[in-house]
Amino acid sequence: MRYETVIGLEVHVELATNSKIFCSCSAHSFGADPNSHVCPACCGMPGMLPVVNKRVVDFGMKAGMMLGCHINRTTTFDKKSYYYPDLPAAYQTTQWFAPVAVNGVVEIETSKGKKSVRIKQIHMEEDAGKLVHDIREDTTHVDFNRTSVPLIEIVSQPDLSSAEEVEAYLERLKTLLRYARVAECEMAHGTMRCDVNLSVRPEGSDKLGVRAEMKNMNSIEAIKRAIEYETARHIDALENGTEVLRQETRRWDDIKGKSYAMRTKETAGDYRYFPDPNVMPVVIDDEWFDSIQRSLPEFPEVKRDRYISEYGLSEYDAEQLTKSIALCDCFEGAFEVCKSAKDAANWMMSEIMSILNARKMTYDMLQINGKSLGELILLVSGGKVGRANAKKILFAMFDDVSIDPAAYAEANGYVMSNDTGKVEAVVKAAIEADPKAVADYKSGKEKALMALFGKCMKELKGNCDPQTLKTILVEMINK
Amino acid sequence: MDRETLRRLEMLNQLSLTEAQKDSVIAFFADREKDLEALDAIDTSSTERMVHVMPIMTVVREDKVVQAFSREDLQKGAPETDEGYWCVPKVME
Repeated sequence: MRYETVIGLEVHVELATNSKIFCSCSAHSFGADPNSHVCPACCGMPGMLPVVNKRVVDFGMKAGMMLGCHINRTTTFDKKSYYYPDLPAAYQTTQWFAPVAVNGVVEIETSKGKKSVRIKQIHMEEDAGKLVHDIREDTTHVDFNRTSVPLIEIVSQPDLSSAEEVEAYLERLKTLLRYARVAECEMAHGTMRCDVNLSVRPEGSDKLGVRAEMKNMNSIEAIKRAIEYETARHIDALENGTEVLRQETRRWDDIKGKSYAMRTKETAGDYRYFPDPNVMPVVIDDEWFDSIQRSLPEFPEVKRDRYISEYGLSEYDAEQLTKSIALCDCFEGAFEVCKSAKDAANWMMSEIMSILNARKMTYDMLQINGKSLGELILLVSGGKVGRANAKKILFAMFDDVSIDPAAYAEANGYVMSNDTGKVEAVVKAAIEADPKAVADYKSGKEKALMALFGKCMKELKGNCDPQTLKTILVEMINK
Repeated sequence: MDRETLRRLEMLNQLSLTEAQKDSVIAFFADREKDLEALDAIDTSSTERMVHVMPIMTVVREDKVVQAFSREDLQKGAPETDEGYWCVPKVME
């Protein structure tokens, strides 16, 4: 019998706000001392009242609009009860009855073509704290710095059917949310987390099989491996009766390449959702709604087409650059300064891409200020810095984004020399040191000239216009 | 409400009830079920959905960080702390 995999995803995304969702503590505590970004509200102390962070609602709406959702103009918060030490109030404030966004759609593209993935809902909620189990044997240590950091959970319908589709879907979510600048979406940093709901059924059946929810996956590669493993496990159980499938939550162990049952899955009823009496409904009036709609970015495809029509970029270059908003920012910033789309695109597609590849960085990790890149391009096109030295400056800019290219070129002796006397002295010395090369060139060996040219350029530390050097070299040989 | 449902609720709420308490809870819920049945009998098909009993909405605050509390103050009531952490009995999933 042939089987098909049915996958729905629950994706948690940490919103890029300054403060937490219901209190004014900082939402950024990476590397901070434990419990150094906490207050009575996010520690769940009795009697504390939550106050909603407006930007969380802004970002929730914006994410919803990017994913083609209907925005609930009255959206409410609810309590989800469960006992665990990472949740100090013993309930999570989330959205159950009227989430901020519902009924969206995300278009993905795989080797099998285009596909629409329906979004059931996007809800805003608070994150839980962190438990540390390995400091002492008898005790679990609790850090509430992450408690109440704002999240959105994006719940898809079970429209995905392979690891490839899941990857395409996650990449698309990441691109859209980054374009909207609502989240970093970096799985390695924990700012994007994904639970996979998977079941298997005979191909063509309209009945869903027994569902397993997999947690603890922190990379797209791990998710792909987990889907392949879990699909095989389900088919094996159905075909060979190796085990009885149960609706349960499973933990993925990426090192062993196996999933393990964590607990029998709770049902929604177990969480006893009820409207949070401490947070009144959030009513989004026309003015608020319109301001968010006006702030939406150009979608990647629209930007790509504009790069082709307005800047004359090739389809390939435009496609590559618009894959990440970080690349777009850098390119547009550079163009603004150097006024040459061709130069800016060339630098992006050659030098920037090759450094990103060499350093194993993703496009989204690019932090170089586009305006600085534009200034560097002007230094080269204006004949002030040679291309080879400009690359050295660009390398330095990757390490320190605050570098001013002109000042850096000056400080490191990368500014091209206009001193022809100096160039002539270097050329003279090179000619005298290598009479064989001079003779070879005179007898018609062009390569010999290039060898002398290279020696001179090295001596001049690249700070000479190549054409000027070549002219002086030829003139002095023929003297 | 029956004993099995109550057993599950006990587990979810981390409670341990005596037999007498269980009988009392079951009797209490039997009464509440009657109340709910009475509410269920009301025809609400033409009633608009209500999100809150009061016609009020939340206030929102600007996204500004304010560090107003010290860890030492917050942990004064804690039974046990260690290196800035709250301590709880070992839990593993």
